[in-house]
Amino acid sequence: MTDRRSHPPKGALWLLRHAYFGKNEALEGDLLERFREKQSAIWIWRQVFIAITLGTLSAFRERWPEVCYAIIGVAIPLAFEKRIYPSGFRFWLVWWRLPWPFSQLVMELSASFLMALAAAPFLAVGLVIAQRFRWTYILRTAGINLTLITLVHYSFDYLSPWITRPVPGYPHQRMIIIPGALQLLAFFLMFFVAAWLGSRGRRHLTQKSGQSA
Amino acid sequence: MRRSHLGELELLILLAVVRLEDNAYGVPISKTLIELTGREVALGSIYAALERLEHKGFVTSSIGEPTPERGGRAKRYFRITQEGLRAIRTTRTALNKLWSRIPLIEGRST
Repeated sequence: MTDRRSHPPKGALWLLRHAYFGKNEALEGDLLERFREKQSAIWIWRQVFIAITLGTLSAFRERWPEVCYAIIGVAIPLAFEKRIYPSGFRFWLVWWRLPWPFSQLVMELSASFLMALAAAPFLAVGLVIAQRFRWTYILRTAGINLTLITLVHYSFDYLSPWITRPVPGYPHQRMIIIPGALQLLAFFLMFFVAAWLGSRGRRHLTQKSGQSA
Repeated sequence: MRRSHLGELELLILLAVVRLEDNAYGVPISKTLIELTGREVALGSIYAALERLEHKGFVTSSIGEPTPERGGRAKRYFRITQEGLRAIRTTRTALNKLWSRIPLIEGRST
């Protein structure tokens, strides 16, 4: 008979490995040690959720310029969606005169491009205050953000049957069925991840590993 | 500027680290807290507090050898620094002063 103690909950450990901000090897080892002593799988899951929550809060606190960037990145399109979006195309490029596929690309990506760039000045100010400013961080963040927004934009075509439903009375229109709060959270995370990846400097990482040595 | 004062959990963990000497890593720290305070503190909270203490310069950490009973994961040992010892002493002095000015609580049933 296989000893139950030799089978810790793999899902919990996988989650800890992939969703925990920070060094997790020692924590994972401690959880395994306690599990082999007497603790239950439920106890492990609870510990993992607490660790992930605290790790995320700690990362948010440490990365406050990125959090501000994400909040502003979500707020800007919400605040100006109706006023700027339709006029934006005319405002900065006469896209329909361009040859295909450039016209298509500009039409579909101009809003994404504006969204990715609009919050960048706020990230720059935050990084200056936090004494971490680098031009490469801003450019990299904008690039990653544009890529993510574009991926989300085009993935809608494939996910449409599952995440949209027809609008009553308008047979050619569809509306998204994902709750607004979840959409906002997804947008927030997308901006935060872009800024987090974009502003990860080699020096910052070296300092981190140096502290643990 | 780094915050140099200690929170309640941070003080308890620092005292546990001092008490455990060379064996201060997550599991024994957690067991010491249960033994001394009757309170089970999540390992994630202990590590979050230890990270803060390390950032303040009150503890240092080092990675031990991976062991089979931990699935090959290494232990992370913590040691108190001189700054950490100073912070404990300062906190104790402050607490002693505060307690000495509250004599009525001693021996009260409620």
